[in-house]
Amino acid sequence: MSAERGEPIRAEQCDSVRVCLDGGWLEVGVGETILQAAERAGREIPTLCFDRRLAPFGACRLCLVGVQGAGAPLPACTTRCHDGMVVDTTDERARRVVRTVLELVLSELPGDPLPGSELDVLARRLGVARSRFAGRTHERRHDERHPYLLLESELCISCGRCVRICDELQGAFALTATGRGFDASIAAGLDSGFANSSCVSCGACAHTCPTGAIRERLDTL
Amino acid sequence: MSGNLTELLARAGGPQAPNALAELKRSRERERALEPDELARIATRTGLPEATIHGIATFYEDLREPRGRRHIRLCTGTACFAAGAPQLLRRIAGELGVEPGCCTEDGETSLAEVYCLGLCHSAPALCDGGVIDAGPGLLERVLAERCADVAAPEPASMLERPVLIAKGDWSGLERALTALGPEQLLAELSAAELRGRGGAGFPAARKWQAARAHDAPVRYIVANGDEGDPGSYIDKYLMEQNPALILEGMALAGYAVGAEQGFILTRSEYPRAKPALEAAIADAQRAGYLGERIAGSDFSFQVEVREGAGSYVAGEETALIACLEGLRATVAARPPYPAERGLYGMPTVVNNVETLANAPFIAREGARSYRALSPGATPGSKLICFNERFARPGLWEVPFGRPLSELCEQLAGGVPGGLKAVQIGGPLGGILPAALLDTPFDFEPLAAVGCMLGHGSIVAFDQATDMRALAAHLLRFGARESCGKCFPCRIGLQRARERFEGCQPPVRGELEDLLAALELGSLCAHGSGIAAPLRSLIEHYPRELGLDER
Ligand SMILES: Cc1cc2nc3c(=O)[nH]c(=O)nc-3n(C[C@H](O)[C@H](O)[C@H](O)COP(=O)(O)O)c2cc1C
Ligand code: SF4
Ligand code: SF4
Ligand code: FES
Ligand code: FES
Repeated sequence: MSAERGEPIRAEQCDSVRVCLDGGWLEVGVGETILQAAERAGREIPTLCFDRRLAPFGACRLCLVGVQGAGAPLPACTTRCHDGMVVDTTDERARRVVRTVLELVLSELPGDPLPGSELDVLARRLGVARSRFAGRTHERRHDERHPYLLLESELCISCGRCVRICDELQGAFALTATGRGFDASIAAGLDSGFANSSCVSCGACAHTCPTGAIRERLDTL
Repeated sequence: MSGNLTELLARAGGPQAPNALAELKRSRERERALEPDELARIATRTGLPEATIHGIATFYEDLREPRGRRHIRLCTGTACFAAGAPQLLRRIAGELGVEPGCCTEDGETSLAEVYCLGLCHSAPALCDGGVIDAGPGLLERVLAERCADVAAPEPASMLERPVLIAKGDWSGLERALTALGPEQLLAELSAAELRGRGGAGFPAARKWQAARAHDAPVRYIVANGDEGDPGSYIDKYLMEQNPALILEGMALAGYAVGAEQGFILTRSEYPRAKPALEAAIADAQRAGYLGERIAGSDFSFQVEVREGAGSYVAGEETALIACLEGLRATVAARPPYPAERGLYGMPTVVNNVETLANAPFIAREGARSYRALSPGATPGSKLICFNERFARPGLWEVPFGRPLSELCEQLAGGVPGGLKAVQIGGPLGGILPAALLDTPFDFEPLAAVGCMLGHGSIVAFDQATDMRALAAHLLRFGARESCGKCFPCRIGLQRARERFEGCQPPVRGELEDLLAALELGSLCAHGSGIAAPLRSLIEHYPRELGLDER
């Protein structure tokens, strides 16, 4: 057996692998990501672009963790576990990057995050209340043409969750990422608003949006 | 990109389906502005959602920038920056009465910036309609509407027998088909230790073996001709003047991995590349080197050329694949690597065009001859190019391992204005001060001084260069070209740019945190790499940067 000779077990040879998470070993399924393993172990890793219903995207980088032997921190959401992997969710370099990125995210909004939104809750949890990185913020742009759905573009942090849930779960393809760089955002249809797109009004995008940039309208209830 | 979009593309016919980016480019040529009706028609024609088409139309620079009847694009890439392009841009804008990125109200004239037209040897460069002009007197010619195409310099080689600037003649493929077979060809490539020339230096044989090992109905070979590095005109030379060598390399890759279809992505800033490659494909088909049952064997191989639309990050391999599929050229997290799931979801080899151009020599003369080209250093040879600040700018084939000082002095004649520093290997490469110019030109020695070989461009800055302006220039490039997918790069580069463009001195502690987030947090080497020249500037020119040491 190769394992007896101290060689890593190849994935095909068994259906589980062992990883060490913050000092404790646990067994995880082959193909599982570090994020899934951590969740199973009851460890909370911060995420913003992740939604368990969707394929991992790897955009926000808030899920960075230390992995022994890797030159740099790795994103927990897109990195698969391999046998003998040693993961440190408290890795200092990773924590430093995560705090900076969260500060950057706060700096792109024209004001505070929407109270109670996933972003707001996360920033409080990580104790990042304000950002050192003042600069240009997203322009105020509201789309209120749809009876139930509201889009406030200045709150959008381009996590892509709305676009992906519309595509992967609903199959409606009503949304897209737009632009690039700092000006990246999202739009419905040909930037024609939800009402004039293939939107089926399921509300999945509003449900997944971590900032409330897309949310259900309360004024029309 | 989502699995469902891949599915939609497949349903529409995969590689045979109408390509959304090509359709958008065509409409843009005709109509100057992309109206919703036209986008809706393109959605119907391509079988893609309207939103997807809108997303593509807002991503690529060529589709975004306003266009007048006369469309002028001035290069503000690094070689042109070093030659005073920012000042020239202001002059042109003033004289023509149009701001960069805008069009006059009467729809007559539009002015835009572009990153590298591949005339870095004659910088600054500019594209007026279809004419690409560069060099002294440019302003006068633009104002007189008398721009004229500039010729490319003749390439030269330090090698006794040139490898990469010798015209491709298909003898490597003939030998592979008649004497080697796919396994032996792979073995030669592996023994030759051919490293990728696109920037990362990854062993080509390993990629080819991986793509071959993955079971699939079809596999693809992709040649990366997107050469976005401002200051580099190496792939431009290969594609425009030695296209058969690239095609032969692609066919060899196809033969080795079991692929029958290849794609080359060229960039729109090199409008001559696609026609030159297409002419070479037609020649090869006539001669029986491309097509069905090549040279009487049972190996068939076809190549198709597709053109991008203005995006630096489209050169990153996962973004390149999206671009070839006609979608937004944003980066995808790996794994899966292209060798497993690439173009249209199939195993794909992505190689730089210069990497592929090495394969014919290896197939023809074997690994031993190849390794002998650069004794004691990385095997093979490398194309390098010098910018206009040098006395004799041009394109050279050199062995690895020679001191940079020898290359800069003996080949390029040094810098008349006095050399202050060079940036090697593109915008993601470190900056080497003149004092360190004895560093050997090779992967490891350059990495040891915070630089990289990259794709092989050598951009000199003369003594007059303001290093803080250079930092601002590089960060502006980084921010403008960020694909916008990952947060550190999308927001961090904007903030870093603002710090250096503003009048306030950047605060050291904040800058260090920003650079760490870029280096360690970015999804691709665009965000992480842009930190490298900044690190060099902070190390070698701290006073010029004027940092606030709080
Ligand atoms: C931002 C970015 C831009 C890139 N641009 C190019 C390019 O223009 N041409 C290229 O060959 N590789 C480019 N690359 C590298 C590719 O991702 C890929 O590594 C390369 O094409 C592989 O070919 P090689 O192994 O033959 O070098 C780029 C990478 C990044 C991160
Ligand atoms: S609207 Fe919300 S879910 Fe969609 S990309 Fe923006 S922040 Fe993410
Ligand atoms: S580093 Fe920049 S270019 Fe690369 S994926 Fe992130 S946003 Fe896109
Ligand atoms: S949750 Fe992993 S990158 Fe966003
Ligand atoms: S032509 Fe301007 S940088 Fe290359």
